[in-house]
Amino acid sequence: MHANFVMRASERGYNKFLSTGESSSYIGGHPEAIVTRHSSFNFGPYETGRAGFGRVRVFGDETFSGAGCGYNIHPHHNFIICAFVLQGQLTHVNTVGNIDQLTPGDFYAFSAGSGGKHCELNLKSDDMHAIYIWIMPDQLFLPPSYSRSHFDALANRNKLVTLVGNADGALRVSQDIKVSRLVSDASMTLNYAPTSTSHGVYAFVLEGEVARDEITLGRRDSTGIWGAQRIEFRTGTQETDLLIVETAP
Amino acid sequence: MIGESLKRFMCMGCGFLYDEVFGLPEHGLAPGTRWADIPEDWVCPDCGTPKHRFEMVEIPYAAGQPLPPASAQQTA
Repeated sequence: MHANFVMRASERGYNKFLSTGESSSYIGGHPEAIVTRHSSFNFGPYETGRAGFGRVRVFGDETFSGAGCGYNIHPHHNFIICAFVLQGQLTHVNTVGNIDQLTPGDFYAFSAGSGGKHCELNLKSDDMHAIYIWIMPDQLFLPPSYSRSHFDALANRNKLVTLVGNADGALRVSQDIKVSRLVSDASMTLNYAPTSTSHGVYAFVLEGEVARDEITLGRRDSTGIWGAQRIEFRTGTQETDLLIVETAP
Repeated sequence: MIGESLKRFMCMGCGFLYDEVFGLPEHGLAPGTRWADIPEDWVCPDCGTPKHRFEMVEIPYAAGQPLPPASAQQTA
């Protein structure tokens, strides 16, 4: 799990789930409702890729199409599940006691701990698009918890903001991990310094173009980097949206 | 296998934990049942994920966990 890599958007796992048939106990919505998932790491029926990255096990680029589409309520333990809404509206219901609606820029961290259920739905006819990241916890069976926040892309233009992890204003989770986001509207250089050289960095281009060394990453391309003291990312001249996950090994 | 410490396995589909110490008596796996002795066609009782998609973890329990059986618990 500790070799550097570049993963093109098309190299990810791809699964399409209908609200009817075999997966219908999980997938909700009208018969035409569809969940599509591009997985950076092995998840569900996708088993031929990378196992994960550091403490991350799931990195899903998901779209819920069709009103009522999404995941019916289902159980979890232990995983810290984060969702970052990019488009549309996500309705999240959990057994911690939250009914939440998230729109672009909103994100949550749901720590299933000793046991919790959740439901993820798109109640609108417009597509809902979100990134889901599942993180291993640093302790088993923690008390379940839910927290949410908002990333203001306009106010934070051309500035890296830590959304999850040990940083001012970020959602705290019980793991040595940091999720940060950069939206730039001009070409700029980001010098990212991991907490230590034992930490890994997984950078995923949501929109636009990002160059690192001689490699240019396009939309939904990603790269995993281990052992660096400093990583230089150069964003393109067009609007760029970059998600950076830093994790303990 | 004798003398090897008991291990914990986590379901990569939902986070369900199988701890060899406790087994899953409600699913017919007695405490102490080794992972290797569970049939290969066994699936996660919560989400149906196949056995080979569990990962061995060396993560400690949170304070107060795992809880004693429900019959021994007191309500706060």
